[in-house]
Amino acid sequence: MSVITKQAGTSAAPAAKPGRRRFGAMTPPWLFAAPALLVYAVVVLYPSIAGVVYAFTDWSGIGGDMSFVGLSNFSAILHDDQALGSLGNTLLLTVAVVVVQNVVGLLLALGVNTKIKSRALLRVVFFSPVVVSPVMVAFLWKYIYNPDPSAGLNGLFGLHVDWLGDPSVALWSIAGMVVWQYAGYSMVIFLAGLEGVPRELHEAAMIDGAGTLQRFRYVTWPLLAPAVTINLMLSTIGGLKLFDQVFAATNGGPGYATETLSTVLYKQAFVYGKFGYSTAIALVLALFVAAVSFVQIYYLRSREVSQ
Amino acid sequence: MKARTFLLEIVMIAVAVAFLFPVYALVTLSLKSPDQIAESPLAVPSSPTLDNFASAWSSAALGPSLINSTVITVVSLVALIALGSFAAYFLARVRSRLGYGLYILFLLGIVLPFQLGMIPLYRLITDLGLIGTHLGMIVFYTGVQLPFTVFLYTGFIRALPREYASAAQIDGASHLTAFTKVVFPLLRPITGTVLILNAVFIWNDFFTPLLYLGGSGFETVPVSIFSFVGQYVSDYGLVFAGLVLAALPIVVVFLLLQRYVIKGFSSGLKG
Amino acid sequence: MTRETDRLIEARISRSQFFRLMGGAATAALLTACSTRPSTGGTSGAGAGASVDLKFVGVADEKVPMEDLVAAYRQAKAGVSIATSYAPTDQVQTSLRTQLGAGNAPDLHVVYPGNGSAMSMAQIAGAGLLADLSSQAWTTTIPTGFKPAFQLQGKTYIYSAGSSVIGAIYNKKVFEKAGVDQPPTTWTEFLDVCEKIKKSGVTPIALGAQTPWVTQLITYALVPSTVYAKDPTFDDKQAAGQTSFAQSGWRDAMEMYLELQKRGYFNDKPNGTTYEQQTSMVATGKAGMAIQVSAVLQAFRDAATTPDDLSMFPLPGADDPAQVWIPAGVVVGLGASAKSKNVEEAKAFIDFLGKQENINRWAKAIAAIPLTQDAGSTIDPALESFLPLTKDRAVPFMDQRWPNAEVQPTHFAVIQDLLAGKIDIDGALKKMDEAYAK
Repeated sequence: MSVITKQAGTSAAPAAKPGRRRFGAMTPPWLFAAPALLVYAVVVLYPSIAGVVYAFTDWSGIGGDMSFVGLSNFSAILHDDQALGSLGNTLLLTVAVVVVQNVVGLLLALGVNTKIKSRALLRVVFFSPVVVSPVMVAFLWKYIYNPDPSAGLNGLFGLHVDWLGDPSVALWSIAGMVVWQYAGYSMVIFLAGLEGVPRELHEAAMIDGAGTLQRFRYVTWPLLAPAVTINLMLSTIGGLKLFDQVFAATNGGPGYATETLSTVLYKQAFVYGKFGYSTAIALVLALFVAAVSFVQIYYLRSREVSQ
Repeated sequence: MKARTFLLEIVMIAVAVAFLFPVYALVTLSLKSPDQIAESPLAVPSSPTLDNFASAWSSAALGPSLINSTVITVVSLVALIALGSFAAYFLARVRSRLGYGLYILFLLGIVLPFQLGMIPLYRLITDLGLIGTHLGMIVFYTGVQLPFTVFLYTGFIRALPREYASAAQIDGASHLTAFTKVVFPLLRPITGTVLILNAVFIWNDFFTPLLYLGGSGFETVPVSIFSFVGQYVSDYGLVFAGLVLAALPIVVVFLLLQRYVIKGFSSGLKG
Repeated sequence: MTRETDRLIEARISRSQFFRLMGGAATAALLTACSTRPSTGGTSGAGAGASVDLKFVGVADEKVPMEDLVAAYRQAKAGVSIATSYAPTDQVQTSLRTQLGAGNAPDLHVVYPGNGSAMSMAQIAGAGLLADLSSQAWTTTIPTGFKPAFQLQGKTYIYSAGSSVIGAIYNKKVFEKAGVDQPPTTWTEFLDVCEKIKKSGVTPIALGAQTPWVTQLITYALVPSTVYAKDPTFDDKQAAGQTSFAQSGWRDAMEMYLELQKRGYFNDKPNGTTYEQQTSMVATGKAGMAIQVSAVLQAFRDAATTPDDLSMFPLPGADDPAQVWIPAGVVVGLGASAKSKNVEEAKAFIDFLGKQENINRWAKAIAAIPLTQDAGSTIDPALESFLPLTKDRAVPFMDQRWPNAEVQPTHFAVIQDLLAGKIDIDGALKKMDEAYAK
């Protein structure tokens, strides 16, 4: 994962006394890590381990009655249409968000990374939704997606789409709102990558008679690889864990059309009163996110190296 | 070439205008009375009114929640930077297997969904008498955001030459002084990133404060807005005025510091 | 609340030894790490004379009557103060379940009557977290038909001020303009009325099915006539496995629901329309009526320029007026936490709410029919047409007898899917039967 910061240090190198002595062995004491480790252990590790235990019980979430049920929560997931459907939705939503957000983010970055006069302003405009709470963005978009033909998107374009009410549209509507909020995030990371592309390379390619597309394909794109890695990773993890936006906009409906793993595990715990089962789903989600991130890093890193 | 740049400029501005449509709807509706909204929701307000803002401010109890959010965010950030940078310094420099294992242990925290530990953590915070308090949330955010913070700092420190600190130590400085006087100042770029990414996350986080602060009178901005919208959802003008007010502080801070914020977001995360 | 009492509560709940050991170790570790003394916030307002602070967490629907009665209690009893907070149902459900799970519930909190939801009396009392109210005088007068809503195994655990009905909230002006002079009393008449309103250019029925709880109201309004009028013991038979949703009048009710949609009596895109939009459509005369619960009558009136235009009638779910039954359910109430250190004080407040005058006060604020009635009781004039039916042709809301918290959300989801044409009635009833069996 060092890819993310591998060059960062070079930008902060004031004049010091390098190489006065090769003295690498001066490791700081354990005590430096102890406070962080303690807080991390208390707030994250211990509760997660204690929580995992619930995944093997039938605890309702309240009261003292609970018994161990072995692996039956996990086998129940395999027969649970709602959980399986939400897994499908989560995957579709993630793929849609990852692809569209990064393509849009890249196009915006390429557009802003030019000599146009408004580039500084545009950067701010496209990035600004990132800093706002997803719940508030969802409330705003609930209005934008209003089925009323005189309001929102329908009013603007004279459409009659039931954006959040039609089960075959709702999931994509949610993806649209997520992309709107985070395309600027991808843009900024791509921009940082583009700034690292040396101008001379472009000029050399131009002299060789390369067109815009060719220059992008052979000069810009390979050097963007690290930015692509980090963008794909962030948007994938974000997509898989997506909760706030769905909770505030549709709460999983209509029917089960926008139910994601996060909303299902929320409902199992707080609406259906099946805390043990909910924890089992959370555990599956955790393993899933970890596996996907691992595969992504492994694959994308090897791509970076080979180029 | 000039003509192409000009064309591109037009296209990009058009894209930005389309992009801002939701924001236009937000502001326009917040300036209208319910009758005006019923008549023509999207038209430019002919006689804008600020009534919505006055009533949203009082009925959403935004004043106290802004204070809550600010206290929780600021103190958590200080704790994260202090704990995170010290730990990362150790993790980046230690060469033992155990040290590497510890680093992986921290990274594990990035993928763990917080729902796993939800109830045990709640019990723990209750036992400590911290439930429904600022301190409880601060401890929570410090712990939950530590993995990401440690990850960012460690990567950055690994790329720093070891010699700076070593040199200082040979001059007789302790590890502590070497870190605070020599290394930490060098971490400024990544500290900016840590600050900004964590600030945006903590300020906007919704589910945990909903669980842990719901009904306590110590709600943060997103939780207050959630219940505010739940109560007045039929009155778009009022709801949107509330959204504008709630988003305003962070948007203003962003606009003032936009250069640093955008840089912070990308520099720690770039290739 | 001090840490010591939390410990006591923790000890009493007594989960497995393992958790406590781990919790204790971690607690000790953190305490040494943080030298700051935790400042206990949250409830406050202990005035000089006040000796007991109670905390109440409720849903937004309870705010008006609760605030009124808390103020009255302050007058009646010095030394006890009650800090209240209210939030939308989703939010309360989430934070309260967490608090209950961790053994940190407020002294008094919202409870839904009967069974069938995560915050319902049977579920919470079943976990041993509600205080028994059976010794209070008002509990002896609970009408027999309502007992399942209040009681688990013969003990009363919830206070509620009365019942509300489900029917059509309608706009009299729209009905007049469409040439309808009398509310319908049979299903055929009801369809005629809708047709007339539709011809007059107004949406007959506003449906805000994006808001999950709204989806259920039309089925709830019809099922008493299609199921219970034919077999009042349906609930018991279903519990015994002798019948099911698919084999009963539930099928007729869903067919009638979809017939209304097929004939174009609903607004366009009901799945994208919210409860609030539904409210304003009826209040402003853009729609003729909405099938709703009487507890929201006040919200409809608030949204209308002339509140007197709004009234209610029972939705006739049968063609024989004698077979028209109505749903009359106990309204959302509150209970006292069994684990509270102030449980006696909390129960005393509920006893106060149980006085007839206070039942009247609460019921009036939410247009409910008071649980028990005396000369001081008032009933909203809009509900008059329901009163002849409340005696022996009323059934509690269906979910209050459902065995788990999964049937109701399943009902919400299948209705949305039916409206969207994604499943058929067979599929919908099958899913509900499956949820019931869990």
